[in-house]
Amino acid sequence: MARLLQVFGFLSVLFRGATLTFQSLAIGGIVFLIFVVRRANEDSSALEQACLRWIRRSAIALAVMQISYVLANSMILRQSAGMSLREVAGANFVLAGLVGIVSAFTVIALTAARRSTGYADLLLPAAAIIASSVMTSHSMARLDYRAPLVAFTALHQAATAAWLGGLPYLLIAVRRAPAPDFARRLSARFSQLALVSVAVLASAGLLLSFAYVGSFKAIYGTSYGAMVATKVLLFGLLLFLGALNFQLVRRGPASSILASLKRFGEAEIGIGITVILTAASLTSLPPAADLTHDRVTGPEIFARMSPRSPRFASPSVQELPEEIYAAQKKAFESGSLSTESYVPGQTGTRPNTPAEKAWSEYNHHWAGIVVLAMGLLALVAQAGQISWARNWPLAFFGLSAFLFLRSDPETWPLGPVGFWATLADPEVLLHRFFALLVIALAVFEWRVQTGRVASGRARLVFPVLVAVSGALLLTHSHSLGNLKEEVLAELSHIPLAILAVTLGWSRWLELRLPSENQTRNAMARLWPICLVLIGVVLLNYREM
Amino acid sequence: MHPGRRNLCAFVLLAVAAAFFIVPPAAAHAVLLESNPPLKSAVSGPDVPIKLRFNVRIDALRSRLTLIRPDGSAQPLELNKQTPPDTLSGEATGLAAGAYRLRWQVLASDGHITRGEIPFTVTSP
Repeated sequence: MARLLQVFGFLSVLFRGATLTFQSLAIGGIVFLIFVVRRANEDSSALEQACLRWIRRSAIALAVMQISYVLANSMILRQSAGMSLREVAGANFVLAGLVGIVSAFTVIALTAARRSTGYADLLLPAAAIIASSVMTSHSMARLDYRAPLVAFTALHQAATAAWLGGLPYLLIAVRRAPAPDFARRLSARFSQLALVSVAVLASAGLLLSFAYVGSFKAIYGTSYGAMVATKVLLFGLLLFLGALNFQLVRRGPASSILASLKRFGEAEIGIGITVILTAASLTSLPPAADLTHDRVTGPEIFARMSPRSPRFASPSVQELPEEIYAAQKKAFESGSLSTESYVPGQTGTRPNTPAEKAWSEYNHHWAGIVVLAMGLLALVAQAGQISWARNWPLAFFGLSAFLFLRSDPETWPLGPVGFWATLADPEVLLHRFFALLVIALAVFEWRVQTGRVASGRARLVFPVLVAVSGALLLTHSHSLGNLKEEVLAELSHIPLAILAVTLGWSRWLELRLPSENQTRNAMARLWPICLVLIGVVLLNYREM
Repeated sequence: MHPGRRNLCAFVLLAVAAAFFIVPPAAAHAVLLESNPPLKSAVSGPDVPIKLRFNVRIDALRSRLTLIRPDGSAQPLELNKQTPPDTLSGEATGLAAGAYRLRWQVLASDGHITRGEIPFTVTSP
C-alpha cells in the first residue's frame, strides 16, 4: 500500500506541473489568435488553422492531465483515509478538476468547429480553465485576504499563459507567415502583448510574494523563499532573451531577423517551461510566511557554504548503516525519525549519520573534479590550441562508473545486497538509470565535439538533457516543512539547477543561432563557464 | 523520420521517463501550528480533549484523526463539527496511562493531503 501511495504521490506532482504547462499553452494560443493574428488585418486563414490545431492539442493534453490528476489524488485520498467514492467526489480538488476538464473539452469542440466569425467565444472556457487552476492554488486555502489573493493568482496565471504560452504560437506564426514583413508585424504585436503580460505577472507576483514569503529573511531561510528567488532569477533570464528579441524586431531588417527570432523563441519556451515547473513545485510547498520556526539564518548559510578544502577521504562501507530500512526503523524507535508532518506514501524523515554525510560529500567532490576538468578542457578546446581537449565528453564515462559504484553503497558491487534485488528499489533503479544517462551524454557530445556529427538534431541531445536535468532539479523539492538541513540542501541544489539551465540553453543557442548573429559567440563562451562553475559548486558541496 | 530527429525524440522521452523516477512526492503542505495534546507531552487521563490548528483551511469532512494505543491498536476518533476553518477537534475518552500516538490526516482546501503523528503520554489522573 505504501508503495502504491508513493507512486501516486510521484504522479500527482507531475500531473500538476503538466497541467500548468498545457493550461498555459492552450490559453496562450487563444490569446495569440485573438489579439495578435486576428488584429493583423491580413489573410491569415492558414496560420489561424495552425494555431487552432495546436490549441486543440494542448486542450486535449490538458484534459488528460486534469483527469489523471483528479484520479491520482482521489485514489490517494480514498486509500489513505478509507473514504467512499461519494465522499471523495465532493472534495474541492474534484470540483476544480471537473471545471477544468469540461472547459478543456469546450475548447476542443470550439476549435474543431468551422466558423467565419471571430474567436472571442474561446475566452470563456479559457477563463474557466484559469478559475479551475486557482481553485487548487495556495490562495484558496488561505485564512486571511483570500479574495484578493485569489484575484492576484488568477492575474498571475493568465498573464503567464499569455506570454509564455503564446511563445510557441509566435514560432509557428514566424514559420508559416506568407511574407517576412508579415512575420515581423506579428512579432511586434506579440512584443506589445508580452510587455503588458510581463507587467501584470510581475506586479501580481510581487504582491503574492509579500503575502506568501513575508520577509527578506524568509527568502533565504526557507525552501519556499529560495524557490521564489529562483523563479525571479529565471524570469530575469527570460526578460533578457525577450529584450534581445525586442531589439531584433525593432532594428533588424525583416529578412535576417526571422532565423534569430525563432532560435531565441525556442530557448525562451524551454526556460519558460522551467519557470512553470518551478511554480508547480512551489504549490506543493508550504508558504514561507507560515514557517516562522527553524528558519536558516545568514551565518548558518555562510558557515555551510564558505569554501573549504574538498573531502578526498571516504568513510568505509562498514561505517554506513547496514541497511537503510533497518536504520529507518531504528530511528523511528529511538524517536529521531520525524513523523510530525509528511505526505501519504512517506514514512517520515531520518537524519543522516555523519558517515553517510561524509560519503555523500566525497561523492560530490569527486564528481566536481571531473566536471571542473571537463569545463576547463571545453574552454581550452574552444580556444583551439590543444586538439585532444575536444575529447572532454569522454570524462563522462568516468563519472558514470563512479556514480554506479558509489551511489548505493549497500548494493552490489560494494554492499551485500545483490544486483538483481536492487532493481526492485526505485531509488537504486533511478541511480542506475542516471549512470546510463551519463554514458549517453558522453557518446553524443563526444561525437559532436570531434566532428563526427556535424549537423542534425543529434547535436541538441547534450543541451536538451542538461537543461531538462536542471529543470528537474528545481522540481526536486527536499523540504518537508522547515527542517534546516533540508533547506540547506535545497540552497545547495538551486545554483546547480540554474547553472545547468543556463548551460543547456546557451549551448542550444550557440548551435542554433545563425552565424552572423553576434550573440552566438557570447553563448559559445558562456556554456563552458557554466560547466566550470558547476564543478566548483560541486567541489564545495557540504552536508555538515 | 530523420535519424537525428528520431534520436532527439528518443532522448526527450528518456528524460521524461527519468522525471517519473526523480520527482519525489509533494512536500507536506498543511503545517500543524499548535496541538492539544502538544507534541511529546504528558497529559492526565482518562479523557483527553484534542485540538489541532493548521496554517490553512481544512476540509474537515475529508480529514481523519486516529488514536494509536500503547498496544498498537488503532481507534478512529470522531471529529467535532468544525467551527474555525483551520481547526480539527475531538475527544479521546477512557485512556489508561501509557504512550499514545495521535495520527492525523487532513485535506487542505487547495487539494493537498498531509498527514502526521503526535506522540504523547497519558498519566494517571
